[in-house]
Amino acid sequence: MTGPRQLDGSRRLEDFLAFSAEATAFTVFELRGTGQSQAYLNTCDGIVGTEVTDCLLDRYDAARSAVVASESTLPELLRRDILSDPQLGPVARNIAKMWFVGVWYELPRAWTEAFGAREGNATFVVSTQSYTEGLLWPAIGANPPGAKAPGFGSWAHPPRIPVFP
Amino acid sequence: MSEHRSDERANGIDDAQHDVVVVGAGIAGSLVAKRLTQAGFSVLVLEAGPATAAAFDDYSNHVQAFYAATSKGPESAWPPAAGVPQPDTADIRTGDGYFVQAGPLPYGSTYTRLQGGSTLHWLGVSLRMLPEDFQLQSSYGVGRDWPLDYWALEPFYGEAEHEIGVAADVVDQTHLGLEFAPGYDYPMHRIPPSYSDRLLAAAVDGMTVNLGEDQLALKVRNYPAARNSMPRGDYRPVGAVDQRRAGQGDGHGLARDLGQRCAGNTACTPICPIQAKYNAGKTLAQADGRTLQVVAQAVASKIQLDPVTGEVRGIEYQRYDDPASARHTVHVARGRVYVLAAHAIENAKLMLASGLGSASGMLGRNLMDHPSIYGWGLASHPVGPYRGPLSTSGIDDLRGGPFRARHAALRVDVGNDGWRAPTGAPDSTVTDAVANRGLFGTALREHLRSTLSRHVRFSLNVEQLPSRSNRVSIDPRYVDLLGNPRPVINYDIDEYTLAGMAAAKRVYQEVFRRAGIKDCTDPEQGVWFPSVAYQGDTLHYHGMGHFAGTHVMGNDPAQSVVDTDQRCWEHRNLFLVGSGSFPTMGTSNPTLTLAALALRTARHLAKELST
Repeated sequence: MTGPRQLDGSRRLEDFLAFSAEATAFTVFELRGTGQSQAYLNTCDGIVGTEVTDCLLDRYDAARSAVVASESTLPELLRRDILSDPQLGPVARNIAKMWFVGVWYELPRAWTEAFGAREGNATFVVSTQSYTEGLLWPAIGANPPGAKAPGFGSWAHPPRIPVFP
Repeated sequence: MSEHRSDERANGIDDAQHDVVVVGAGIAGSLVAKRLTQAGFSVLVLEAGPATAAAFDDYSNHVQAFYAATSKGPESAWPPAAGVPQPDTADIRTGDGYFVQAGPLPYGSTYTRLQGGSTLHWLGVSLRMLPEDFQLQSSYGVGRDWPLDYWALEPFYGEAEHEIGVAADVVDQTHLGLEFAPGYDYPMHRIPPSYSDRLLAAAVDGMTVNLGEDQLALKVRNYPAARNSMPRGDYRPVGAVDQRRAGQGDGHGLARDLGQRCAGNTACTPICPIQAKYNAGKTLAQADGRTLQVVAQAVASKIQLDPVTGEVRGIEYQRYDDPASARHTVHVARGRVYVLAAHAIENAKLMLASGLGSASGMLGRNLMDHPSIYGWGLASHPVGPYRGPLSTSGIDDLRGGPFRARHAALRVDVGNDGWRAPTGAPDSTVTDAVANRGLFGTALREHLRSTLSRHVRFSLNVEQLPSRSNRVSIDPRYVDLLGNPRPVINYDIDEYTLAGMAAAKRVYQEVFRRAGIKDCTDPEQGVWFPSVAYQGDTLHYHGMGHFAGTHVMGNDPAQSVVDTDQRCWEHRNLFLVGSGSFPTMGTSNPTLTLAALALRTARHLAKELST
């Protein structure tokens, strides 16, 4: 349970979750609650490769450390260091979309032209669970179509849209 | 409910003689089978597609298929068998699907070839046709009159509403001349209108619009729906079907604890996961299993005639074991009476493929749909879309009136599913926000919250009149894997309907303005739909899945294919049931009316078979 690889693996997952919380404005607690963290990290690794993912997480880690002494906010640093990066930007955006929709979207052509085609880089639903766990639904006080039914007559009332910081 | 025999016996079937052979286990065929088995007659039902919706475990696999589909269109939960292709919305743009689109315009609707038929993914709205819809020619000088009037069908509407399980309150439905039998009410109370329906009603009720010289007041009204709600009296809502093969399950045809109320899954189309929405499997499960035999994966391919009497003496069908393969064996089903209930297109196709029904020249003609316009906009405040049944209300006031002498009637379907159908939202809202607006993190989530919660969508369904040149035909050059013809569709939209579509567009714009909804309709940015030019404008239209008119009913054998009992004029023991029999369709969804007609035919057949 506590071998060095395992520790690395869980540290990686922690960083992925922290970055994902930044990407979605949901808390790490809420992200864990979807049960999809490992599946999304694996999907990202599986398509772009662990080195690219690690590079993204390193940049995120660096930005998080730098923000203490910086005049910029973390979102500003992320925009400068990750979202504007031709390789990491599209991957970061895909991670955000994956959390909201449960879908890995095919990377843009410009990305594959610059950094090489990747096997499996097509648009696909990560899993049947990832569809029902899409954050898009709680973000608007709704349920994913075909799942998590809120009960007879619930639709007659105003939506309960959660407040977030 | 007892077990009915399933497909295992197919190979021994050639010698068996049934009272009735039904082609198609959709709503019309299932209603006929239920009624006639209950009257003690033996009924064989041939179903072209697999019976994977009949047992709940299998049904749940369809739910999983929907979850896993990247594109969640009406067909996403219901892939067809290899030898039984079906039209698919995605094929309309490419023109390269099951339908051979022969133009000039693409026909925009689809259906499902599985046991249960298109009721597996229908929306469930169950409006009766208006009394004036049955007399369009004599009232307004357009279209055709039905050979039946509203009152001839009224008792069967009531029966159909109880068979299907329709939730509505009569008090909401008595307008535009629609009357109900004294003391009648629907089997279940109305489905509660959505929060957005109520906000819309508060803003819109009482406003007027002009259609030509007619000034019409609008009111947002609850839609009758085939979705389980609170029962009236001693009516018992019918939940999920769980019909298993012999030796599996507890032998009960209906699951007892699931689907007795709509739970707000927001997926009527393509699949209600708990079957609180009606599907034809519920009716088939209530047939008397002692005299019912259902053979799924059996494609009716040819009707055999007795050359002397002109009566049908058998229906050839192709039975396949593997839905992924075209391998099959050929059999013949025999009965005293034959009922084609395979869908408006498939009924006509089977007749044409068998060289039958050509005397009037009407077979396959008068194909109709409800070419429909989307309008979508942003409300000024959150209205809570993407929740509840996909539609709970509409604006009915433009379904009837003297303006119908000049242009088509229309109906406003008010959606609860935001911009899903016209734009692919909410998924597309996420991808647009991230890719095009550069939003991320808090700004992204805030954008989703503030925009998606205000999405409003209308679908304006426009009447289409029968026309001889709108038709399904067959062509030996176009066949499927089993060698059966693919439908060749000729389709156009005439001036009468185009003017109705243009009026529909004006109406939604006026309603949006009145309700403070910002019009965001932009078909160029939305999901692709076919379009047609009209008076300098481009009208984008979508099909409603409302096929009708291919074997028109009438009093004159020279002008119609079937009589008022849906009996084929040329072959006395052959009946063609379904919306193919409609002379006109008005603006109501055809399922309830075709169910009423099927029940009327079943009653006639029960009498005829007894003598």
